[in-house]
Amino acid sequence: MSRVTNIAIAGVGGQGIILASDIIAEAALWAGFDVKKNEVHGMAQRGGSVVSEIRFGRRVHSPLIPDGEVDVLVALELLEGLRHVHRLRKDGLVIADDLRLDPAVRPPGAPPYPDDVVKRLRASAERVVLVPAGELAGRAGNARAANTVLMGVLSRHLELPIEAWKGSLQACLRPSLVEVNLKAFELGRRRRAA
Amino acid sequence: MSTTARPAARALLSGDEAIARGAFEAGVRVATAYPGTPSTEILEALVACPGVRAQWAPNEKVALEVAIGASLAGARAIASMKHVGLNVASDPLMTASYVGVRGGLVIVTADDPGMFSSQNEQDNRHYARLAKVPMLEPSDSQEAKDFTIAAFELSEQFDTPVLVRITTRVAHSNSLVELGERAEHEPTGFVCEPAKTVMVPGNARRRHELVEARTEQLAEYAEHCPFNRIEKGDRRIGVIVSGVAHQYVKEAKPRASILKLGLTHPLPRKLIRQFAKSVEKLYVVEELDPYLEDQIKAMGIKLAHGPSRPRTGELNPDLVAGFLGARKRAGRAPAAGLPPRPPALCPGCGHRALLTVLKRLKVFVSGDIGCYTLGVQPPLQTMDTCICMGAAIGVAHGVEKATGRTGDMVAVIGDSTFIHSGITPLIDCVYNQSSTTVIILDNETVAMTGHQNHPGTGKTAAGEPTNRLVLEELCRAVGVRNVSVVDPYDLKQTEAVVKEALAAREPSVIIARRRCVLLDRDRVRHPYRVETERCVGCGRCLMHGCPAIADRTPEGSRKKQVAIVPELCAGCGVCAEICPSGAISEVRQ
Repeated sequence: MSRVTNIAIAGVGGQGIILASDIIAEAALWAGFDVKKNEVHGMAQRGGSVVSEIRFGRRVHSPLIPDGEVDVLVALELLEGLRHVHRLRKDGLVIADDLRLDPAVRPPGAPPYPDDVVKRLRASAERVVLVPAGELAGRAGNARAANTVLMGVLSRHLELPIEAWKGSLQACLRPSLVEVNLKAFELGRRRRAA
Repeated sequence: MSTTARPAARALLSGDEAIARGAFEAGVRVATAYPGTPSTEILEALVACPGVRAQWAPNEKVALEVAIGASLAGARAIASMKHVGLNVASDPLMTASYVGVRGGLVIVTADDPGMFSSQNEQDNRHYARLAKVPMLEPSDSQEAKDFTIAAFELSEQFDTPVLVRITTRVAHSNSLVELGERAEHEPTGFVCEPAKTVMVPGNARRRHELVEARTEQLAEYAEHCPFNRIEKGDRRIGVIVSGVAHQYVKEAKPRASILKLGLTHPLPRKLIRQFAKSVEKLYVVEELDPYLEDQIKAMGIKLAHGPSRPRTGELNPDLVAGFLGARKRAGRAPAAGLPPRPPALCPGCGHRALLTVLKRLKVFVSGDIGCYTLGVQPPLQTMDTCICMGAAIGVAHGVEKATGRTGDMVAVIGDSTFIHSGITPLIDCVYNQSSTTVIILDNETVAMTGHQNHPGTGKTAAGEPTNRLVLEELCRAVGVRNVSVVDPYDLKQTEAVVKEALAAREPSVIIARRRCVLLDRDRVRHPYRVETERCVGCGRCLMHGCPAIADRTPEGSRKKQVAIVPELCAGCGVCAEICPSGAISEVRQ
């Protein structure tokens, strides 16, 4: 793989975006790639829009992905997916949780949540995979593991060996959470593409 | 993934973790800091390192003074802070430059271009010139570690504190770092040498001359410092760059000739001239102020560009590509008409309850730095000023002195912010006889930066029990007679206490104490629900901006319809207190 692979994860502060980006970065590291990752801490969290970026390849320079070069956009929430979909490559892939979370704060004059969010997302990207990640995570034993379900879906679209993902999950999670997350990951990985 | 004592071959570290790792490997003994995004994780990573005394200071000035003391006792010491924190610590910094060091002294400033979590985006590179201390600017995590180790060595070699300047994208980006072993540095102990360490004018005059000579020696060193290097490429375009912008240049113009500066004060003038001569078109790429550009222009060197680079916000690969005239991919426009999603106070946050009371009382609110600053947003909109850490009290005092206005004005300040720099302005209120009402929003933690301990929590940075600063005793001790403690969840009592304080013709302190809801996750909580039959649709429960209360009003309807999202509800019951028709109640199984 000579080209750098670029992954952006978008969602709402508190959904486990940093953890998801840790999992991808560690898996890429495990597979022997140069890796860079950036994320936002502090005031930008607290229920606000959050985006994290991971880049891996033989040699990675900028921790920020140039515009129009995102290979895979992982959206933990639909509106946040739509907010970042323009950064996708022409043939890029969107993997989105089918979750809708209304913004906690609606400033005066702000438009309402777009009811046609899925339609617009599909119109903006050639390939969109919608995943009922919360439901699958619940089936795995913890509804909060939706982020790991999406990692499972993502794993089928990246050239990283399964051992890298499993090792990464073990490295990034508290021991008590490893089992349920491995289950959530498997449910995502085995899911047929929509 | 954080820094560990046992060296592995390499690890994926954030810039902050890499600085901590560098300090650890360099044998640092004392590490001090005050939490501040994006610098917080440096000290957090050092807490886990054996052989390092890592502690939170009440503010950055104290942090630096403690580090200076450790250095003068011969130990290697590091003080880390966000950019505005260095303003607070700038007083000791200016004179520490004269005094110099015994053990290596490194000061980390983490700047925040783009203001992800800050009140301004000042460019702290100017501090290096102002204080006349050398400055290193790493561009990724490996350099963050290597430069930190080198900073300790430079500090001892040139008898000077050394500034390590990073930005958010270095601090919070992770990249690979080769790990090494720790080399112990035994403290030599304090040696009495007043000519070096007692800065009275007679001594300081002589030290100032040494400082100027030191800067000349450092400028000579800068010419062959391994961190200033030429990356030969296409002669037609040359770029002088430092910090994370180097990565953007490599991304945008991989074949350009680059002069990569790691030591950015003092500058390697000969090297810069030599590089400028070797290329046809010369660019300077840097974030925020024209720090390098102005100095290079002052050398009489011509640049290929005018002042076209943005001076605000952070750079990115696309901006740099545009600036260097590189081919830009046609970027697509973002989706239009999307609602923004700003951060909000959490469900169950005690700050929201207190701000709800202040909104009802329609008072002027002099605000401060912390989660509660989010109260400026709709629907609460109860924040009239926010300047810097600790400013709430002094600003309220000033408004009163200028206008004679009393009885409708409060200062709100967090527990840690109050300890940081709210105590002296409170003394000013007592001394200069204002009737300021100060509300300390005590959530028993430094919440915004990720829940660090402070003197009021009674726990050290490592979580060990220690002496607890009791805020109410402190306020009484400085001469405030009206000191009360309330639970902000109790809106009625809180309102009564605030009204009483506003009516008093002397300073009052109200401590609104409610532990941060994020620290209370294990607490058994019963969510609340809305009984639709009893709801009159007034919408008052929506006016305190709780993320757990969803507005389900159909388009065009005047009567509000609301629902409480049980997964989000923290069970604080504040909305039930607000509801005039008793339609909100706790769900009991």
